[in-house]
Amino acid sequence: MSISAPRYAAGPSARTGPASRILAIASREFFRRARAATLLSVALTFFVVVTSVVVTVIFASFLRAPTAGDFESVYESPVWPFLMLIVAASAGAGSLAEDVGDRSISLYLSRPIRLVDYVSAKTIACGSWLVIATVGPGLTAVAVTGALGYASASVLLAALLGFVATGFVAAIFFTGLALALSSLTNRALYSGVAIFGVILVLYIGGSVVAGITGNIYVPYANPIENIRSVAHGAFGVSGGTATDPASSALTLVGSGVVLWVFALWRMRRVEVVSE
Amino acid sequence: MPVALIEVNGVSKRFGTVEAVSNLSVELSPGSIGLVGPNGSGKTTLIRLLLGLLSPDSGNLSVLGCDPQRDPLGVRGQVGYMPEHDCLSPDLSGIGFVAHMGRVSGLPKEVAISRAHDVLEFVGLAEERYRKIREYSVGMRQRVKLAQAIVHDPPLCFLDEPTAGLDPSGREEMLELLRALGRLPNHSFVLSTHLLHDADGLCDQVLMLDAGHCIASGPVRELIASHEGESVIRIQGDTDRFLASLLQHGLTPKPMDREIRVELAPGTTRAVFESAAEAGVQVRYLGRSVATIEGLFLARVELPVPEDPT
Repeated sequence: MSISAPRYAAGPSARTGPASRILAIASREFFRRARAATLLSVALTFFVVVTSVVVTVIFASFLRAPTAGDFESVYESPVWPFLMLIVAASAGAGSLAEDVGDRSISLYLSRPIRLVDYVSAKTIACGSWLVIATVGPGLTAVAVTGALGYASASVLLAALLGFVATGFVAAIFFTGLALALSSLTNRALYSGVAIFGVILVLYIGGSVVAGITGNIYVPYANPIENIRSVAHGAFGVSGGTATDPASSALTLVGSGVVLWVFALWRMRRVEVVSE
Repeated sequence: MPVALIEVNGVSKRFGTVEAVSNLSVELSPGSIGLVGPNGSGKTTLIRLLLGLLSPDSGNLSVLGCDPQRDPLGVRGQVGYMPEHDCLSPDLSGIGFVAHMGRVSGLPKEVAISRAHDVLEFVGLAEERYRKIREYSVGMRQRVKLAQAIVHDPPLCFLDEPTAGLDPSGREEMLELLRALGRLPNHSFVLSTHLLHDADGLCDQVLMLDAGHCIASGPVRELIASHEGESVIRIQGDTDRFLASLLQHGLTPKPMDREIRVELAPGTTRAVFESAAEAGVQVRYLGRSVATIEGLFLARVELPVPEDPT
Protein backbone atom coordinates (compact mmCIF):
# COMPACT_ATOMS: atom_id res chain seq x y z
CA MET A 1 0.00 0.00 0.00
CA SER A 2 1.31 3.44 -0.86
CA ILE A 3 -0.46 6.56 0.25
CA SER A 4 0.10 10.05 -1.05
CA ALA A 5 0.42 12.92 1.36
CA PRO A 6 -2.76 14.96 1.81
CA ARG A 7 -3.42 17.64 -0.77
CA TYR A 8 -5.47 20.59 0.30
CA ALA A 9 -7.92 21.98 -2.23
CA ALA A 10 -8.10 25.13 -0.12
CA GLY A 11 -4.67 26.72 -0.08
CA PRO A 12 -2.94 28.37 2.86
CA SER A 13 -5.30 30.54 4.82
CA ALA A 14 -4.94 33.30 7.40
CA ARG A 15 -5.89 32.08 10.85
CA THR A 16 -8.96 33.46 12.55
CA GLY A 17 -8.76 35.23 15.90
CA PRO A 18 -9.72 33.89 19.33
CA ALA A 19 -13.25 35.33 19.11
CA SER A 20 -13.94 33.22 16.04
CA ARG A 21 -12.60 30.07 17.75
CA ILE A 22 -14.70 30.75 20.84
CA LEU A 23 -17.74 31.23 18.64
CA ALA A 24 -16.99 27.94 16.87
CA ILE A 25 -17.01 26.07 20.19
CA ALA A 26 -20.06 27.98 21.42
CA SER A 27 -22.14 27.34 18.30
CA ARG A 28 -21.17 23.67 18.26
CA GLU A 29 -22.12 23.37 21.94
CA PHE A 30 -25.39 25.24 21.40
CA PHE A 31 -26.56 22.92 18.65
CA ARG A 32 -25.22 19.89 20.52
CA ARG A 33 -27.64 20.76 23.34
CA ALA A 34 -30.60 20.99 20.97
CA ARG A 35 -31.76 17.60 22.17
CA ALA A 36 -35.28 16.45 22.87
CA ALA A 37 -35.11 17.27 26.59
CA THR A 38 -33.88 20.80 25.98
CA LEU A 39 -36.28 21.52 23.14
CA LEU A 40 -39.24 20.06 25.02
CA SER A 41 -38.51 21.94 28.23
CA VAL A 42 -38.05 25.22 26.36
CA ALA A 43 -41.23 24.63 24.36
CA LEU A 44 -43.11 23.81 27.55
CA THR A 45 -41.80 27.00 29.15
CA PHE A 46 -43.06 29.03 26.21
CA PHE A 47 -46.45 27.36 26.43
CA VAL A 48 -46.79 27.77 30.20
CA VAL A 49 -45.58 31.37 30.36
CA VAL A 50 -47.51 32.63 27.35
CA THR A 51 -50.72 30.88 28.39
CA SER A 52 -50.42 31.95 32.01
CA VAL A 53 -49.67 35.59 31.20
CA VAL A 54 -52.28 35.95 28.49
CA VAL A 55 -55.04 34.34 30.60
CA THR A 56 -54.14 36.44 33.65
CA VAL A 57 -54.10 39.67 31.67
CA ILE A 58 -57.41 38.84 29.94
CA PHE A 59 -59.11 38.11 33.26
CA ALA A 60 -57.59 41.25 34.82
CA SER A 61 -58.95 43.30 31.94
CA PHE A 62 -62.50 42.30 32.95
CA LEU A 63 -62.03 44.09 36.30
CA ARG A 64 -59.66 46.95 35.45
CA ALA A 65 -57.00 48.10 33.05
CA PRO A 66 -54.16 45.52 33.16
CA THR A 67 -50.88 46.63 34.73
CA ALA A 68 -47.30 45.37 34.37
CA GLY A 69 -47.81 43.52 37.63
CA ASP A 70 -50.34 41.22 35.97
CA PHE A 71 -47.56 39.93 33.71
CA GLU A 72 -45.51 38.98 36.76
CA SER A 73 -47.97 36.31 37.90
CA VAL A 74 -45.99 33.56 36.21
CA TYR A 75 -43.15 33.97 38.73
CA GLU A 76 -45.53 33.36 41.64
CA SER A 77 -46.05 29.76 40.59
CA PRO A 78 -43.51 27.01 41.37
CA VAL A 79 -43.93 25.77 37.80
CA TRP A 80 -41.63 28.40 36.28
CA PRO A 81 -38.62 27.65 38.55
CA PHE A 82 -39.18 23.95 37.96
CA LEU A 83 -39.10 24.45 34.19
CA MET A 84 -35.92 26.52 34.55
CA LEU A 85 -34.32 23.67 36.45
CA ILE A 86 -35.15 21.30 33.61
CA VAL A 87 -33.73 23.71 31.02
CA ALA A 88 -30.58 24.31 33.10
CA ALA A 89 -30.08 20.58 33.58
CA SER A 90 -30.64 19.67 29.93
CA ALA A 91 -28.68 22.58 28.44
CA GLY A 92 -25.89 22.96 30.98
CA ALA A 93 -25.36 19.82 33.03
CA GLY A 94 -23.34 18.10 30.32
CA SER A 95 -21.53 21.07 28.85
CA LEU A 96 -18.29 20.54 30.76
CA ALA A 97 -18.97 17.08 32.18
CA GLU A 98 -19.35 15.39 28.81
CA ASP A 99 -16.12 16.90 27.44
CA VAL A 100 -14.27 15.68 30.51
CA GLY A 101 -16.02 12.32 30.28
CA ASP A 102 -15.17 11.69 26.63
CA ARG A 103 -11.86 13.55 27.12
CA SER A 104 -12.41 15.79 24.13
CA ILE A 105 -11.32 18.62 26.41
CA SER A 106 -7.71 17.59 25.81
CA LEU A 107 -8.26 18.16 22.09
CA TYR A 108 -9.70 21.62 22.67
CA LEU A 109 -6.88 22.61 24.99
CA SER A 110 -4.24 21.38 22.52
CA ARG A 111 -5.57 24.04 20.14
CA PRO A 112 -4.77 27.74 20.37
CA ILE A 113 -7.48 28.12 22.98
CA ARG A 114 -7.09 29.20 26.59
CA LEU A 115 -9.09 27.46 29.28
CA VAL A 116 -10.94 30.68 30.01
CA ASP A 117 -11.89 30.90 26.31
CA TYR A 118 -13.15 27.34 26.38
CA VAL A 119 -15.27 27.89 29.50
CA SER A 120 -16.52 31.18 28.07
CA ALA A 121 -17.65 29.38 24.92
CA LYS A 122 -19.54 26.84 27.02
CA THR A 123 -21.05 29.72 29.01
CA ILE A 124 -22.27 31.41 25.84
CA ALA A 125 -23.94 28.19 24.66
CA CYS A 126 -25.56 27.31 27.99
CA GLY A 127 -26.46 30.94 28.68
CA SER A 128 -28.08 31.27 25.26
CA TRP A 129 -30.44 28.38 25.95
CA LEU A 130 -31.30 29.82 29.35
CA VAL A 131 -31.90 33.30 27.95
CA ILE A 132 -34.17 31.77 25.33
CA ALA A 133 -36.06 30.01 28.11
CA THR A 134 -36.16 32.90 30.59
CA VAL A 135 -36.63 35.91 28.31
CA GLY A 136 -38.14 34.45 25.15
CA PRO A 137 -41.50 33.32 26.55
CA GLY A 138 -42.02 36.63 28.35
CA LEU A 139 -41.38 38.60 25.18
CA THR A 140 -43.71 36.30 23.27
CA ALA A 141 -46.41 36.76 25.92
CA VAL A 142 -46.01 40.54 25.68
CA ALA A 143 -46.28 40.35 21.88
CA VAL A 144 -49.39 38.14 22.01
CA THR A 145 -51.07 40.32 24.65
CA GLY A 146 -50.26 43.43 22.67
CA ALA A 147 -51.58 41.85 19.47
CA LEU A 148 -54.84 40.99 21.25
CA GLY A 149 -55.09 44.58 22.44
CA TYR A 150 -55.54 43.89 26.14
CA ALA A 151 -52.81 46.21 27.41
CA SER A 152 -51.57 49.69 26.64
CA ALA A 153 -48.18 50.31 25.02
CA SER A 154 -46.68 51.69 28.23
CA VAL A 155 -47.77 48.60 30.18
CA LEU A 156 -46.43 46.33 27.47
CA LEU A 157 -43.09 48.17 27.51
CA ALA A 158 -42.87 47.93 31.31
CA ALA A 159 -43.71 44.22 31.15
CA LEU A 160 -41.13 43.68 28.41
CA LEU A 161 -38.42 45.33 30.50
CA GLY A 162 -39.55 43.29 33.51
CA PHE A 163 -39.22 40.02 31.62
CA VAL A 164 -35.81 41.01 30.21
CA ALA A 165 -34.44 42.08 33.60
CA THR A 166 -35.78 39.08 35.52
CA GLY A 167 -34.87 36.69 32.72
CA PHE A 168 -31.27 37.82 32.41
CA VAL A 169 -30.68 37.76 36.18
CA ALA A 170 -32.15 34.24 36.39
CA ALA A 171 -30.18 33.11 33.33
CA ILE A 172 -26.89 34.34 34.82
CA PHE A 173 -27.55 32.45 38.04
CA PHE A 174 -28.67 29.21 36.43
CA THR A 175 -25.80 29.29 33.90
CA GLY A 176 -23.24 29.69 36.67
CA LEU A 177 -24.89 26.93 38.69
CA ALA A 178 -25.08 24.51 35.76
CA LEU A 179 -21.44 25.05 34.76
CA ALA A 180 -20.17 24.79 38.34
CA LEU A 181 -21.95 21.50 38.93
CA SER A 182 -21.00 20.25 35.47
CA SER A 183 -17.34 20.87 36.27
CA LEU A 184 -17.55 18.59 39.31
CA THR A 185 -18.21 15.35 37.48
CA ASN A 186 -17.77 13.64 34.14
CA ARG A 187 -21.38 12.44 34.03
CA ALA A 188 -24.09 14.80 32.82
CA LEU A 189 -26.69 12.81 34.73
CA TYR A 190 -24.97 13.47 38.06
CA SER A 191 -24.65 17.19 37.50
CA GLY A 192 -28.24 17.33 36.25
CA VAL A 193 -29.51 15.69 39.40
CA ALA A 194 -27.26 17.96 41.45
CA ILE A 195 -28.85 21.06 39.90
CA PHE A 196 -32.25 19.93 41.16
CA GLY A 197 -30.79 18.84 44.48
CA VAL A 198 -29.00 22.09 45.23
CA ILE A 199 -32.01 24.26 44.39
CA LEU A 200 -34.44 22.07 46.34
CA VAL A 201 -32.16 22.02 49.39
CA LEU A 202 -31.78 25.80 49.27
CA TYR A 203 -35.51 26.30 48.67
CA ILE A 204 -36.76 23.98 51.40
CA GLY A 205 -33.84 24.53 53.77
CA GLY A 206 -33.99 28.31 53.37
CA SER A 207 -37.73 28.39 54.05
CA VAL A 208 -37.45 26.15 57.12
CA VAL A 209 -34.45 27.94 58.63
CA ALA A 210 -35.98 31.35 57.95
CA GLY A 211 -39.22 30.21 59.61
CA ILE A 212 -37.43 28.90 62.68
CA THR A 213 -34.85 31.62 63.20
CA GLY A 214 -36.73 34.59 61.75
CA ASN A 215 -33.43 35.85 60.40
CA ILE A 216 -34.13 38.32 57.60
CA TYR A 217 -30.99 37.37 55.67
CA VAL A 218 -31.68 33.64 55.39
CA PRO A 219 -34.20 34.03 52.52
CA TYR A 220 -31.35 35.38 50.39
CA ALA A 221 -29.99 31.84 50.37
CA ASN A 222 -33.12 30.75 48.50
CA PRO A 223 -32.64 31.38 44.75
CA ILE A 224 -36.34 30.90 43.98
CA GLU A 225 -37.30 33.53 46.54
CA ASN A 226 -34.63 35.83 45.10
CA ILE A 227 -35.96 35.44 41.56
CA ARG A 228 -39.49 36.13 42.78
CA SER A 229 -38.24 39.22 44.54
CA VAL A 230 -36.38 40.44 41.44
CA ALA A 231 -39.54 39.88 39.40
CA HIS A 232 -41.55 41.92 41.91
CA GLY A 233 -39.06 44.75 41.60
CA ALA A 234 -38.79 44.53 37.82
CA PHE A 235 -42.56 44.52 37.26
CA GLY A 236 -43.24 47.16 39.92
CA VAL A 237 -45.13 44.89 42.30
CA SER A 238 -44.71 46.12 45.85
CA GLY A 239 -44.31 43.85 48.88
CA GLY A 240 -45.01 40.13 49.09
CA THR A 241 -41.42 38.97 49.25
CA ALA A 242 -39.00 38.36 52.09
CA THR A 243 -36.06 39.99 50.35
CA ASP A 244 -35.17 43.32 48.79
CA PRO A 245 -35.33 43.12 44.95
CA ALA A 246 -32.05 44.94 44.33
CA SER A 247 -30.22 42.88 46.94
CA SER A 248 -31.73 39.71 45.52
CA ALA A 249 -30.61 40.65 42.02
CA LEU A 250 -27.12 41.33 43.32
CA THR A 251 -27.14 38.00 45.18
CA LEU A 252 -28.19 36.05 42.08
CA VAL A 253 -25.77 37.76 39.71
CA GLY A 254 -22.95 37.57 42.28
CA SER A 255 -23.65 33.89 42.90
CA GLY A 256 -23.68 33.21 39.16
CA VAL A 257 -20.32 34.91 38.69
CA VAL A 258 -18.78 33.16 41.71
CA LEU A 259 -20.06 29.80 40.47
CA TRP A 260 -18.60 30.51 37.02
CA VAL A 261 -15.22 31.32 38.54
CA PHE A 262 -15.49 28.11 40.55
CA ALA A 263 -16.14 26.17 37.32
CA LEU A 264 -13.05 27.72 35.74
CA TRP A 265 -10.92 26.90 38.78
CA ARG A 266 -12.31 23.40 38.86
CA MET A 267 -11.49 22.82 35.19
CA ARG A 268 -7.88 23.80 35.83
CA ARG A 269 -7.78 21.16 38.56
CA VAL A 270 -9.42 18.54 36.35
CA GLU A 271 -6.75 19.01 33.71
CA VAL A 272 -4.00 18.28 36.21
CA VAL A 273 -5.79 15.40 37.89
CA SER A 274 -6.46 13.72 34.55
CA GLU A 275 -2.73 13.15 34.24
CA MET B 1 23.56 22.91 11.76
CA PRO B 2 19.79 22.43 11.47
CA VAL B 3 17.51 24.61 13.60
CA ALA B 4 16.22 22.72 16.63
CA LEU B 5 12.58 21.73 16.36
CA ILE B 6 12.32 20.90 20.03
CA GLU B 7 14.66 21.88 22.83
CA VAL B 8 14.34 20.54 26.34
CA ASN B 9 16.74 21.77 29.02
CA GLY B 10 16.86 20.13 32.44
CA VAL B 11 13.11 19.53 32.59
CA SER B 12 11.61 17.62 35.50
CA LYS B 13 7.96 16.95 36.24
CA ARG B 14 6.67 15.19 39.29
CA PHE B 15 3.16 13.93 40.10
CA GLY B 16 3.05 13.36 43.83
CA THR B 17 5.79 10.88 44.56
CA VAL B 18 6.22 9.83 40.95
CA GLU B 19 8.83 11.63 38.88
CA ALA B 20 7.34 11.35 35.39
CA VAL B 21 10.16 13.27 33.71
CA SER B 22 13.54 13.56 35.38
CA ASN B 23 16.10 16.23 34.48
CA LEU B 24 15.57 15.71 30.77
CA SER B 25 17.74 17.58 28.29
CA VAL B 26 17.47 16.92 24.58
CA GLU B 27 17.54 18.73 21.26
CA LEU B 28 15.63 17.39 18.27
CA SER B 29 15.84 18.56 14.66
CA PRO B 30 12.96 18.69 12.16
CA GLY B 31 11.94 15.34 10.74
CA SER B 32 10.24 12.17 11.89
CA ILE B 33 10.95 11.71 15.57
CA GLY B 34 10.27 8.59 17.58
CA LEU B 35 9.50 9.14 21.24
CA VAL B 36 9.81 5.62 22.52
CA GLY B 37 9.75 3.89 25.85
CA PRO B 38 7.62 1.54 27.88
CA ASN B 39 4.29 2.52 29.38
CA GLY B 40 4.80 4.99 32.20
CA SER B 41 8.16 6.18 30.91
CA GLY B 42 7.00 9.80 30.66
CA LYS B 43 6.21 10.07 26.94
CA THR B 44 2.71 11.51 27.30
CA THR B 45 3.84 13.82 30.10
CA LEU B 46 6.61 15.15 27.86
CA ILE B 47 4.14 15.78 25.03
CA ARG B 48 1.82 17.62 27.39
CA LEU B 49 4.75 19.67 28.64
CA LEU B 50 5.66 20.52 25.05
CA LEU B 51 2.06 21.54 24.35
CA GLY B 52 2.04 23.78 27.42
CA LEU B 53 -0.76 21.77 29.01
CA LEU B 54 1.51 21.08 31.98
CA SER B 55 4.14 23.24 33.65
CA PRO B 56 7.54 21.71 34.40
CA ASP B 57 8.75 21.72 37.99
CA SER B 58 12.15 22.83 36.68
CA GLY B 59 13.88 23.48 33.39
CA ASN B 60 12.59 25.02 30.20
CA LEU B 61 11.33 23.91 26.80
CA SER B 62 11.11 25.29 23.30
CA VAL B 63 8.93 24.09 20.43
CA LEU B 64 9.37 25.66 17.00
CA GLY B 65 11.12 28.54 18.73
CA CYS B 66 8.25 29.21 21.17
CA ASP B 67 8.29 28.63 24.90
CA PRO B 68 5.22 26.51 25.75
CA GLN B 69 5.03 28.06 29.21
CA ARG B 70 5.26 31.70 28.17
CA ASP B 71 3.47 31.39 24.84
CA PRO B 72 1.34 28.24 24.89
CA LEU B 73 -1.03 29.55 22.23
CA GLY B 74 1.95 30.28 19.98
CA VAL B 75 2.98 26.64 20.24
CA ARG B 76 -0.51 25.21 19.94
CA GLY B 77 -1.21 27.32 16.88
CA GLN B 78 1.63 25.54 15.06
CA VAL B 79 1.16 21.96 16.19
CA GLY B 80 -1.34 19.16 15.83
CA TYR B 81 -2.06 16.68 18.58
CA MET B 82 -3.41 13.16 18.35
CA PRO B 83 -4.03 11.95 21.90
CA GLU B 84 -3.63 8.36 22.92
CA HIS B 85 -7.03 8.07 24.54
CA ASP B 86 -10.43 8.14 22.89
CA CYS B 87 -11.48 11.77 22.73
CA LEU B 88 -14.01 12.00 19.93
CA SER B 89 -17.52 13.39 20.22
CA PRO B 90 -19.69 10.38 19.39
CA ASP B 91 -22.68 12.45 18.35
CA LEU B 92 -20.86 14.16 15.46
CA SER B 93 -20.14 12.85 12.00
CA GLY B 94 -16.51 12.38 11.00
CA ILE B 95 -16.63 15.39 8.67
CA GLY B 96 -18.43 17.51 11.26
CA PHE B 97 -15.89 16.72 13.96
CA VAL B 98 -12.80 17.27 11.83
CA ALA B 99 -14.18 20.51 10.38
CA HIS B 100 -15.06 21.68 13.89
CA MET B 101 -11.54 21.02 15.13
CA GLY B 102 -10.24 22.87 12.08
CA ARG B 103 -12.30 25.89 13.04
CA VAL B 104 -11.11 25.67 16.64
CA SER B 105 -7.56 25.59 15.25
CA GLY B 106 -8.22 28.90 13.54
CA LEU B 107 -9.34 27.98 10.04
CA PRO B 108 -12.21 29.94 8.51
CA LYS B 109 -15.39 27.87 8.26
CA GLU B 110 -15.28 27.21 4.50
CA VAL B 111 -11.57 26.35 4.59
CA ALA B 112 -12.08 24.05 7.58
CA ILE B 113 -14.80 22.11 5.77
CA SER B 114 -12.72 21.83 2.60
CA ARG B 115 -9.65 20.67 4.55
CA ALA B 116 -11.75 18.18 6.53
CA HIS B 117 -12.81 16.52 3.27
CA ASP B 118 -9.18 16.43 2.13
CA VAL B 119 -7.75 14.88 5.27
CA LEU B 120 -10.58 12.36 5.67
CA GLU B 121 -9.89 11.22 2.13
CA PHE B 122 -6.20 10.99 3.01
CA VAL B 123 -6.86 8.79 6.04
CA GLY B 124 -9.20 6.60 4.02
CA LEU B 125 -12.53 7.69 5.47
CA ALA B 126 -13.98 9.40 2.42
CA GLU B 127 -16.87 6.94 2.23
CA GLU B 128 -17.68 7.00 5.92
CA ARG B 129 -17.23 10.71 6.61
CA TYR B 130 -20.96 11.41 7.06
CA ARG B 131 -21.50 8.59 9.53
CA LYS B 132 -21.70 9.33 13.24
CA ILE B 133 -18.45 8.71 15.08
CA ARG B 134 -20.25 6.41 17.50
CA GLU B 135 -20.67 3.99 14.58
CA TYR B 136 -16.93 3.94 13.81
CA SER B 137 -14.61 1.03 14.58
CA VAL B 138 -11.46 1.51 16.65
CA GLY B 139 -9.37 1.78 13.51
CA MET B 140 -11.68 4.41 12.01
CA ARG B 141 -11.60 6.39 15.24
CA GLN B 142 -7.81 6.40 15.17
CA ARG B 143 -7.95 7.70 11.61
CA VAL B 144 -10.34 10.47 12.61
CA LYS B 145 -8.00 11.39 15.45
CA LEU B 146 -5.15 11.61 12.96
CA ALA B 147 -7.30 13.65 10.57
CA GLN B 148 -8.22 16.22 13.22
CA ALA B 149 -4.55 16.53 14.16
CA ILE B 150 -3.49 17.50 10.64
CA VAL B 151 -6.57 19.35 9.37
CA HIS B 152 -4.94 22.75 9.93
CA ASP B 153 -1.73 21.56 8.22
CA PRO B 154 0.57 22.10 11.20
CA PRO B 155 4.35 22.01 10.70
CA LEU B 156 4.65 19.73 13.73
CA CYS B 157 2.34 16.99 14.87
CA PHE B 158 2.41 15.06 18.15
CA LEU B 159 1.05 11.55 17.68
CA ASP B 160 0.53 9.74 20.95
CA GLU B 161 0.33 5.97 20.43
CA PRO B 162 -1.41 6.16 17.03
CA THR B 163 -1.37 2.39 16.57
CA ALA B 164 -2.84 1.59 20.00
CA GLY B 165 -5.68 -0.90 19.81
CA LEU B 166 -5.29 -1.57 16.09
CA ASP B 167 -5.16 -5.02 14.54
CA PRO B 168 -2.04 -5.86 12.48
CA SER B 169 -3.48 -4.68 9.17
CA GLY B 170 -4.89 -1.53 10.75
CA ARG B 171 -1.55 -0.87 12.38
CA GLU B 172 0.30 -1.26 9.09
CA GLU B 173 -2.16 1.10 7.38
CA MET B 174 -1.69 3.68 10.11
CA LEU B 175 2.10 3.42 9.79
CA GLU B 176 1.75 3.85 6.04
CA LEU B 177 -0.23 7.05 6.65
CA LEU B 178 2.53 8.27 8.94
CA ARG B 179 5.15 7.46 6.31
CA ALA B 180 3.19 9.58 3.84
CA LEU B 181 3.08 12.39 6.38
CA GLY B 182 6.81 12.05 6.91
CA ARG B 183 7.39 12.61 3.21
CA LEU B 184 5.77 16.05 3.34
CA PRO B 185 8.42 18.77 3.11
CA ASN B 186 8.71 21.15 6.07
CA HIS B 187 6.52 18.90 8.18
CA SER B 188 7.65 16.99 11.23
CA PHE B 189 6.00 14.64 13.62
CA VAL B 190 6.76 13.19 17.01
CA LEU B 191 5.56 9.60 17.20
CA SER B 192 5.13 8.49 20.79
CA THR B 193 4.90 4.75 21.13
CA HIS B 194 5.71 1.90 23.44
CA LEU B 195 5.69 -0.42 20.41
CA LEU B 196 9.31 0.15 19.53
CA HIS B 197 9.15 -1.61 16.19
CA ASP B 198 6.57 0.97 15.07
CA ALA B 199 9.33 3.55 15.11
CA ASP B 200 11.68 1.35 13.09
CA GLY B 201 11.89 2.46 9.49
CA LEU B 202 9.55 5.36 10.19
CA CYS B 203 11.61 7.74 12.28
CA ASP B 204 14.90 9.37 11.43
CA GLN B 205 15.47 10.55 15.01
CA VAL B 206 14.64 8.95 18.29
CA LEU B 207 14.29 9.95 21.92
CA MET B 208 14.23 6.97 24.26
CA LEU B 209 12.73 7.37 27.70
CA ASP B 210 12.76 4.99 30.59
CA ALA B 211 11.25 5.93 33.95
CA GLY B 212 11.40 9.59 32.98
CA HIS B 213 15.09 9.47 32.05
CA CYS B 214 16.54 9.90 28.59
CA ILE B 215 18.51 6.77 27.77
CA ALA B 216 19.33 7.71 24.18
CA SER B 217 18.57 10.44 21.70
CA GLY B 218 19.70 11.51 18.28
CA PRO B 219 19.59 10.41 14.65
CA VAL B 220 18.60 6.76 14.41
CA ARG B 221 21.35 5.92 11.93
CA GLU B 222 24.06 7.31 14.20
CA LEU B 223 22.70 5.58 17.27
CA ILE B 224 22.41 2.26 15.52
CA ALA B 225 25.80 2.60 13.86
CA SER B 226 27.40 3.20 17.23
CA HIS B 227 26.06 -0.13 18.41
CA GLU B 228 26.62 -2.26 15.35
CA GLY B 229 29.43 -4.77 15.63
CA GLU B 230 29.50 -4.51 19.39
CA SER B 231 28.51 -7.06 21.95
CA VAL B 232 26.66 -6.23 25.11
CA ILE B 233 27.71 -7.78 28.41
CA ARG B 234 25.82 -7.50 31.67
CA ILE B 235 27.36 -8.90 34.78
CA GLN B 236 26.77 -9.27 38.46
CA GLY B 237 29.84 -8.57 40.56
CA ASP B 238 32.82 -6.27 40.64
CA THR B 239 32.75 -4.35 37.36
CA ASP B 240 36.21 -2.82 37.80
CA ARG B 241 37.88 -6.20 38.26
CA PHE B 242 36.00 -7.55 35.26
CA LEU B 243 37.07 -4.60 33.09
CA ALA B 244 40.68 -5.08 34.15
CA SER B 245 40.47 -8.74 33.33
CA LEU B 246 38.99 -8.03 29.89
CA LEU B 247 41.87 -5.66 29.18
CA GLN B 248 44.33 -8.38 30.18
CA HIS B 249 42.71 -10.61 27.56
CA GLY B 250 43.34 -8.01 24.88
CA LEU B 251 39.79 -6.72 24.66
CA THR B 252 38.78 -3.03 24.76
CA PRO B 253 35.67 -2.79 26.90
CA LYS B 254 33.51 0.35 27.01
CA PRO B 255 31.68 0.61 30.33
CA MET B 256 28.19 2.13 29.96
CA ASP B 257 25.63 2.96 32.62
CA ARG B 258 24.37 -0.54 33.22
CA GLU B 259 26.38 -2.66 30.84
CA ILE B 260 29.70 -3.14 29.15
CA ARG B 261 30.14 -2.95 25.40
CA VAL B 262 33.00 -4.66 23.68
CA GLU B 263 33.93 -5.50 20.12
CA LEU B 264 34.42 -9.25 19.89
CA ALA B 265 36.27 -10.73 16.98
CA PRO B 266 35.15 -14.20 15.93
CA GLY B 267 36.39 -16.78 18.41
CA THR B 268 37.04 -14.36 21.24
CA THR B 269 33.79 -14.94 23.09
CA ARG B 270 35.57 -17.44 25.30
CA ALA B 271 37.80 -14.61 26.57
CA VAL B 272 34.75 -12.94 28.11
CA PHE B 273 33.90 -15.97 30.21
CA GLU B 274 37.52 -16.51 31.18
CA SER B 275 37.72 -12.87 32.27
CA ALA B 276 34.54 -13.30 34.26
CA ALA B 277 35.87 -16.40 35.96
CA GLU B 278 39.12 -14.65 36.84
CA ALA B 279 37.32 -11.56 38.17
CA GLY B 280 34.82 -13.67 40.09
CA VAL B 281 31.77 -12.12 38.42
CA GLN B 282 28.72 -13.70 36.87
CA VAL B 283 27.82 -13.01 33.23
CA ARG B 284 24.09 -12.37 33.15
CA TYR B 285 23.81 -11.40 29.51
CA LEU B 286 26.02 -11.59 26.46
CA GLY B 287 24.64 -10.77 23.05
CA ARG B 288 25.17 -8.84 19.85
CA SER B 289 23.72 -5.38 19.62
CA VAL B 290 21.00 -5.35 16.98
CA ALA B 291 20.41 -2.69 14.40
CA THR B 292 16.86 -1.69 15.30
CA ILE B 293 15.38 0.92 17.59
CA GLU B 294 13.92 -1.87 19.64
CA GLY B 295 17.32 -3.55 19.92
CA LEU B 296 18.90 -0.24 20.75
CA PHE B 297 16.36 0.33 23.49
CA LEU B 298 16.83 -3.11 24.95
CA ALA B 299 20.58 -2.64 24.91
CA ARG B 300 20.21 0.64 26.80
CA VAL B 301 17.54 -0.17 29.32
CA GLU B 302 18.26 -2.08 32.49
CA LEU B 303 16.49 -5.40 32.28
CA PRO B 304 15.22 -7.05 35.44
CA VAL B 305 17.77 -9.54 36.76
CA PRO B 306 16.22 -12.97 37.42
CA GLU B 307 16.32 -14.32 40.95
CA ASP B 308 19.28 -16.62 41.63
CA PRO B 309 17.75 -20.06 42.26
CA THR B 310 20.56 -20.88 44.68
